[in-house]
Amino acid sequence: MSAREQDVLRRVGEASVLVLISLADGPKHGYALIKDVRQFAGVELGPGTLYGALDRLERLGLIEPLPADERRHPYRITAPGAAALRIHLDSLERVSAAGRLRLQLGGT
Amino acid sequence: MSAPGAREGRLVDAALRCYPPRWRRRHADEAAELAALLIADGTPAASIVWSYLVGAAREWLAPRPGRSLSAVTAALLAVTCLLGLSAALVAESAPAKAAGTARAPSGPIPPTSKAASPRAGSPHQLTPCRPVLPRQVACASPVAGHWRLSIQGSAHAPSG
Repeated sequence: MSAREQDVLRRVGEASVLVLISLADGPKHGYALIKDVRQFAGVELGPGTLYGALDRLERLGLIEPLPADERRHPYRITAPGAAALRIHLDSLERVSAAGRLRLQLGGT
Repeated sequence: MSAPGAREGRLVDAALRCYPPRWRRRHADEAAELAALLIADGTPAASIVWSYLVGAAREWLAPRPGRSLSAVTAALLAVTCLLGLSAALVAESAPAKAAGTARAPSGPIPPTSKAASPRAGSPHQLTPCRPVLPRQVACASPVAGHWRLSIQGSAHAPSG
């Protein structure tokens, strides 16, 4: 299987990737996720987008909900989720390196 | 008059009611609390409501195990057909209304007119002809930014 085929995150959308990156350093609930994504990526995740991403990632088995804390459900990244994120970031890094190299060679 | 916070809360609740029941059972309480926190944080309530409305539309349209892809496709097709049918009815009634006034345009070509498009707007290009009386044909052609109407008494050769 090629690296591209292994990258299950390539079709889930930017919001899901950002949520997964946010969960990589520990469980968080919705509000903490939105604040964290705003802080490290400068992206304002709408709450509707957030829940769509959480549902998608949970269906793929990449995150799991933890027992509710009052009304809030924290989520945590699963082992397959961490592996998928690593593969996706490696893929992005390869593409990014190729882009930088070509920009340099192109002399623009 | 109710407090602004209560009004925003009602709007958020209304948006959350647009989600499928399965989603509401799982997330509605948490989503309402998240909205309250975001509003308290300074996020405009309208953007939160809009985000939930878009999310609800996505939820309904996303294929689920209990909802086959064909059902979703059928729903989309039905909506498209209804919109197409409405557009066709409106488009069909427009020439009838125009014929009822029996007035050829004589002023400058309005910018919204079909003839204003680059293809039809070329000089001396004839628009398709429409019979007025038996063996009579009315043709309207845009000449130098104005309409010229001519009625021909016999059969005509349609412009290419």
